[in-house]
Amino acid sequence: MRNAVVEVLDVTKTYPGGGARALDGVSVAFAAGTFCAVMGPSGSGKSTLLHCAAGLDRPDTGRVVLAGEEIGTLREPRLTQVRRRRVGFVFQSYHLMDSLSVWHNVLLPQRLAGVRPDRGWAKDVIRRVGLAGREDDRPARLSGGQRQRVALARALAGRPEVIFADEPTGALDLATGREVLQLLREAVDGLGATIVMVTHDPAAAAWADRVVFLADGRVAGELAAPTADLVAARMTAVSAR
Amino acid sequence: MIRLAIGTLRRHRGAYAGTFLAALLAVALLSGGGLLLASVLTATPPADRFAAAAVVVSGERAVTVETVTHKKKKDKDKVKRKVKTERLTGAGTLPTGLAARLADLPGVAAAVPDLAFPVEVTAKGRALRGADGAPVVGHGWASAGLTPYTLRNGNPPGRGEAVLDADLAARAGLTTGAEITVTSRTGVRALRISGIAAPAGRDGLPAQGALFVADTEAAALSGLDGPTAIGILAAPGAGDLRAAVEAAIAGQAPAGQAPAGQAPAGQANAGQANAGQATAGGSTVVREVTVLTGDDRVRADLPGALPDYIAPISIFGFLIGITAFAAVFVLTGTVTLGVRQRLRELALLRTAGATPGQLRRLLSLESLLLAGCAAIPGAPLGIVAAETVAARFRRLGAVPPQFTVQINPLVLIAAAAAGLLVTAVAARIAGRRAARIAPTQALTETAVTPAGGQFTRVLSAAVAAGGAVAVLTFVPLGGPFGMGMSFVSSALLLCAVAALGPIAVRPLTAVVSRLLGAGPVGRLAGQVTRAEPRRVAAVAVPLVLMFAINATMLLNSRMLTGIAAGEQAARTAPATAQVTAPQGLALSTAETVMAVDGITGAAATIPTRIVVVAGGKPEDHAAQGLLITGTQPALDLGFTAGGLPDGGFAASRYLAGLYDWTVGQDIELRLADGHRVQLRLTGVYDRSRGFGDAVLPAALIAAHDPRGLVRGISVRYDPGTAERIRAAGPGVIVTPSSATEAAGDAQEQQGAWELMVAVTLGFTAIAILNTFAIATTGRRREFAGLRLAGATTGQLHRLAAREALIVVTAGLALGALITGIVVGTFSVAQDGVFRVIVDPATYATMAAGVAALGLLAGVLPARVLLRRQALPALTDDQ
Ligand SMILES: Nc1ncnc2c1ncn2[C@@H]1O[C@H](COP(=O)(O)OP(=O)(O)OP(=O)(O)O)[C@@H](O)[C@H]1O
Ligand SMILES: [Mg+2]
Repeated sequence: MRNAVVEVLDVTKTYPGGGARALDGVSVAFAAGTFCAVMGPSGSGKSTLLHCAAGLDRPDTGRVVLAGEEIGTLREPRLTQVRRRRVGFVFQSYHLMDSLSVWHNVLLPQRLAGVRPDRGWAKDVIRRVGLAGREDDRPARLSGGQRQRVALARALAGRPEVIFADEPTGALDLATGREVLQLLREAVDGLGATIVMVTHDPAAAAWADRVVFLADGRVAGELAAPTADLVAARMTAVSAR
Repeated sequence: MIRLAIGTLRRHRGAYAGTFLAALLAVALLSGGGLLLASVLTATPPADRFAAAAVVVSGERAVTVETVTHKKKKDKDKVKRKVKTERLTGAGTLPTGLAARLADLPGVAAAVPDLAFPVEVTAKGRALRGADGAPVVGHGWASAGLTPYTLRNGNPPGRGEAVLDADLAARAGLTTGAEITVTSRTGVRALRISGIAAPAGRDGLPAQGALFVADTEAAALSGLDGPTAIGILAAPGAGDLRAAVEAAIAGQAPAGQAPAGQAPAGQANAGQANAGQATAGGSTVVREVTVLTGDDRVRADLPGALPDYIAPISIFGFLIGITAFAAVFVLTGTVTLGVRQRLRELALLRTAGATPGQLRRLLSLESLLLAGCAAIPGAPLGIVAAETVAARFRRLGAVPPQFTVQINPLVLIAAAAAGLLVTAVAARIAGRRAARIAPTQALTETAVTPAGGQFTRVLSAAVAAGGAVAVLTFVPLGGPFGMGMSFVSSALLLCAVAALGPIAVRPLTAVVSRLLGAGPVGRLAGQVTRAEPRRVAAVAVPLVLMFAINATMLLNSRMLTGIAAGEQAARTAPATAQVTAPQGLALSTAETVMAVDGITGAAATIPTRIVVVAGGKPEDHAAQGLLITGTQPALDLGFTAGGLPDGGFAASRYLAGLYDWTVGQDIELRLADGHRVQLRLTGVYDRSRGFGDAVLPAALIAAHDPRGLVRGISVRYDPGTAERIRAAGPGVIVTPSSATEAAGDAQEQQGAWELMVAVTLGFTAIAILNTFAIATTGRRREFAGLRLAGATTGQLHRLAAREALIVVTAGLALGALITGIVVGTFSVAQDGVFRVIVDPATYATMAAGVAALGLLAGVLPARVLLRRQALPALTDDQ
């Protein structure tokens, strides 16, 4: 596999107080400049994998290498520093700051990192996600799709090595979801971003270059060059096991 | 509905803890203050010196004015009676022949004329006082039978002899035959103890020591022209004597005196001297000869021999006023904040099909449940608070040592009900808007209260501010109500700030946040505080409360003490020294001292109180009897008009202004024993603080104030005279003018104020911590989002600290504004000088304390929240 941005090696994770392993020896790598989808039944450990890979959570055993740096053993605040430099996030609930305008939300991670924000690039990104002219609005005045675009613009504005997206279209209607997926795709193709996306929707997964399937905390195969039908068929098989 | 309410309460335990705590403290404060006030209001004298008398006839103990107004309405003549009384500090006397007449009534075994007069006793060179510093009261030996005191050993007092109660005798280790020195207003006498007496079953009465002298000597020692009361001892088998006694008095009331009971007959018009008072149907001063039985008998005793609950009533009244205001204020704010934190959940309920009405009811029910639960520990806590405060006040001397807190269940219930009511009303008001929240708000990221209410905010703020301006403009802040009114005006201004809330806070944060907004975190803090004026207002207002209320009280009281000390210094500036005696000096002794060779000028003062009747209302004021000798002035009262009285009297600027008196006018005054005098106003003076509002001839005061002792003499003398002064009077102390201190009661007052400030400081401090904690728990999602955007925990801590700094600065600015307005106005009203800071050290300490507390309150909850949640809850939607 060509230069992997994120490598997860034999990772296990059990939540405190919660019986079965959420991740049970998962190894997976995500290559630079690709769009990868992670699928699986509810409770299969997708979100857990994403959190571990992104440095939001720490695995019990195993290694996580993010852009060449071992993060499985990093402590705060170093972990946050690595994360905010290398990783962007897009979540189902947008996690925008209500008290900040769109513009300030987009620049927030760079400000927190103490780096001089690249305003030109930020403007460009906001234009690309279709929010030109809404910079001074508060998130509360935007629609769900627009908020998700702000979150995407924010993720892109920092030029991270990888963007993790957990059901980014989960709260959106079909058409708006498609627009957001289109933007993700464009980010990979046009801007050279790397995206790892968790989704339940085979049609969404079809936008990716590759689909990794999870079941009961284990990798249950993968699929290159997916189509909606292929993915759906595979999901049915995975769920049935 | 109640199930749902209990359910939400259980689920959001953390979020409700704040409201619960606020309600608990509010109930505790209300019940504590209520208990104290109720206890002083219902305090009964500890013992009855007239226990053995069936009926007691009492001379005047109060000035009572009855105002009768006739209202002609549709041919009907409506008569309205209004009775106002003012207690006397001395005791009026009864006609000398009255006792003999009453003794002749059937069923009366004896009618004992009782003379009660304060004395100062010195034994073995030390002042002799009763338990807890109780005063010693002198009587004729006949009075012993009224309690009764019986001899334990020795004999009844003869000429030059005295009988002490057993308690006093034990305190000084005195036995029969010992010598004591007795000082009264008529002079100093050496008496020999002829016997020791005691009431049945105890050594003495609780709040007064007793000294008995021969009946033939009592009049001379006391200087009284008649008995202060007559105790009537019933013959065995006699029926109710009250009616007979009343009839006997009514039948032969001397001219100008009212008959028995409260019914006025021979009315003496009070308004003769004062032009403004002679209104149609006008006010009448009722001269009372009161017939007392049962528990009321004790009211015939010398006022100074009973614990004085008048001052504590005003202190505790004030205390409950302040605490009630703070409690209601804080509770309302907390409930409102708590409701706002839950808008999202309310919106979710709306989506689930709840109607606005149901939400309102849910909120009311929840708050009632909460306040109800809070009242259960709140009431006992109030008892503890009341006991603690009472103990402190007893030590300060602000309440009589005999004072105890009566645990009145009605007060506790009322306090709990008040807590419940305030919580319910606050929840209702906050819920009114919150319940209108659109269901769709639940689906969006944040829920915001429906906008609007701007008009209501501005209107209520304008009303409150208008009230404050009215109080500051129209109430004479220089008078006795100045402190109370300055508190009222700062409370009103606080209400105005609280009503304005975000509107008042927004411009401030706009400026402050930019000043403090350096660095990425500072910048973020600035943006957040600017964007959320409501939250900033919610946490800033308790800070404003803490600073404004406490600083106003503290600074004003410091200012008064300072001004009083300044006036005291100015008054005594011309004097070389102050001459005092621990027991006080009889006027005759003072005259001897003042006549010492080498004294070029002297001014002796006798503290007393006078009552002025005006507008149908008797009012008492501090005054001094003044004797001036020599050619050079030793006392400088700072006359603004006229000069020192020469047979007439002088009044302070405040008093002359209050009653509209002008120099040369003849004014009717009532002295401590109720005696009426008509005096010409000869001058108006300025330096009245710590002194008194009127200056009268010393001889007059010595004759009509039961104590009537010179407290101090300002003297001016040639070098070398001090020794001769010391030799002239027994136990006389000469202190250079520069070394004299402020009067004791001023310090007592200051102590009481500072204790009150301590109570409100404690409460408001908890309120601040509480409010910040509630506000912070509502920011979990926001913090999670920030962590996700790359903020380290350290950055979030710094963010919380920066925000707190901005909030604290805004709060202090508003607090300083209110304090400045009130203290400035108060200061100008005192002596025309405009002060805002008053005492830089106090001011800085207050500001720094509030700031430190605010910062702590802003930082701590954020730390706890972030520790509990090391990583952002990404999917958690609460
Ligand atoms: N905070 C937590 N505490 C305890 N157990 C958890 C926690 N989060 C997830 N789990 C458990 O870990 C397992 C994997 O959860 P995870 O959230 O990764 O699933 P998922 O594949 O993302 O599911 P979904 O598609 O429903 O989002 C589940 O069994 C879940 O119950
Ligand atoms: Mg998930």
